[in-house]
Amino acid sequence: MNNRLLLKWKKYEAVGIITLRHQFAYITDLLLRSVFLLLILYIFIQLWQAAYQGDADAVIAGFSLQQIIWYLVFAEAITMAKPPIGAKIEEEVKSGDIAVRLIRPLSYVGFHYMSYMGEATLRFFIHLAVGSSIALSFMGAPEFGSGLAALFMLSIGAFTVAFMLHMIIALFAFWLEETRGLEFVMQKLQFTVGGMLLPLEMMPEWLQRICAWLPFQTVLYFPAKMAVAYDAKLLIPYLAIQWGWVVVLAVVVIMTYRTGVKKLHVNGG
Amino acid sequence: MRKSTASGTLRYLLTCWKLNAAGAMEFRLSFFLTAGMMFINNCIWLVFWGIFFTKFPVVNGWELRDVMLMWAVAAGGFGWANMLFGNFTRVAAITAAGQLDVYLTQPKPVLLSVLASRMSLMAIGDFMFGWVIYGLVGDHSLRGLALFMLGLLISGLLIMFFTLVANSLAFYIGNAEGLAFQVFNGFLALTTYPTDIFRGGVRIILFTLVPAGFISYIPIGLLGGIQDSFLIGALGITALVAGIGIAFFYHGLRRYTSGNQLGIRS
Repeated sequence: MNNRLLLKWKKYEAVGIITLRHQFAYITDLLLRSVFLLLILYIFIQLWQAAYQGDADAVIAGFSLQQIIWYLVFAEAITMAKPPIGAKIEEEVKSGDIAVRLIRPLSYVGFHYMSYMGEATLRFFIHLAVGSSIALSFMGAPEFGSGLAALFMLSIGAFTVAFMLHMIIALFAFWLEETRGLEFVMQKLQFTVGGMLLPLEMMPEWLQRICAWLPFQTVLYFPAKMAVAYDAKLLIPYLAIQWGWVVVLAVVVIMTYRTGVKKLHVNGG
Repeated sequence: MRKSTASGTLRYLLTCWKLNAAGAMEFRLSFFLTAGMMFINNCIWLVFWGIFFTKFPVVNGWELRDVMLMWAVAAGGFGWANMLFGNFTRVAAITAAGQLDVYLTQPKPVLLSVLASRMSLMAIGDFMFGWVIYGLVGDHSLRGLALFMLGLLISGLLIMFFTLVANSLAFYIGNAEGLAFQVFNGFLALTTYPTDIFRGGVRIILFTLVPAGFISYIPIGLLGGIQDSFLIGALGITALVAGIGIAFFYHGLRRYTSGNQLGIRS
């Protein structure tokens, strides 16, 4: 029994590793594209320096200037690392390639999850390196303590929740074919209530209460906040909330997939 | 003769725009969804700024109203340029794919023909957004309206011709699509942050090499009371960037070697 599970796992592990290797072939392209991240972070550094009036000691909503810049580096690195799963599945449905995917001896969702994680891993480290380079030169390195370890621990759950959220939207392609609009709304929700542009503490009280009940905070806010302001007491609750959302969203993904795959009409392939 | 050529070109442009609009309205639902999405996208950025300014009411002299007008001018300018001349972001792709041939065979100015042959649906949302924000926080006097429209004109022309320069690199380096897209995205990003957060050399660059500052400073230098030096600079740099864009395109066009792809304009 254990052997069968191990063999099954090996298949999915191979998908992740192959995707990761595949991504290495496009590393120059990835580095070129990350130039935009440099520009955005440079603009944000100027903006927040103006907001803090250059006062390195000022603490606003629990964040110093240095912490807020590093928070943005981590949140942007995760955001830009997320592979465009919606566009991929939409293309598979439109082109009919999904027919080939469905007959393989691999779970459709499982295949995409491992492929997503493989691609996200390389993209995350590249964007982290690029973002850190600009933050280091303008702000220096803060005392992260155990923050970096917490960042990596929470990042696995963060990418898993992000995958589930985007997968639910992507699976609507089985009915709609066109899912870019929904994907767009999802992305914007992560920008705002997910805490990409601002840590949740900077938001009004009422909005913070709403955000606490949504899964978006687990993708960007949890890892970025813990990296810059590590709090040992919060690590376990954050992990529990994150993986709690993974379970809830996984159920939704499976239900959506099972219903959707029956409705799917494949043309070509 | 010259007059009839000009009026012929204008008639041609009007026909292009009419057909583009009719084409967009063929897919009404998609049209409204796409335009609405862009509108929502811009609104979300204003939500960010709204929250930001509750924590920091004034940032280097800028208030929320200034940032809202900056977004109105940038999005509105981008909107009209992309509605009427929607191919300015795609010149590099069209060139690299050898699809310019079809425009070269027509008895109309090539650049105008290329630019006006596409209407971006998303841009209509941007254009509407500009006017809604103007309606909410702009100066509604006749003078205020005229200044806002001048702001939109400067903004649209600068975005279009700066992007055209980047796209025309395709004539010289081949596949410039990725680079042109990065330049375009970067330029747009710079038009939507208060100019006064930048200091020193970067600020000089924003008013010279990468003249995004002439768009982002419009709420202060034009709408908030005309600063002569800013207005003269903005008009001058717009004319200069337009001139460079057109010259760069036509100079590059002489190097264009076409593909062997057969194509027709539908």
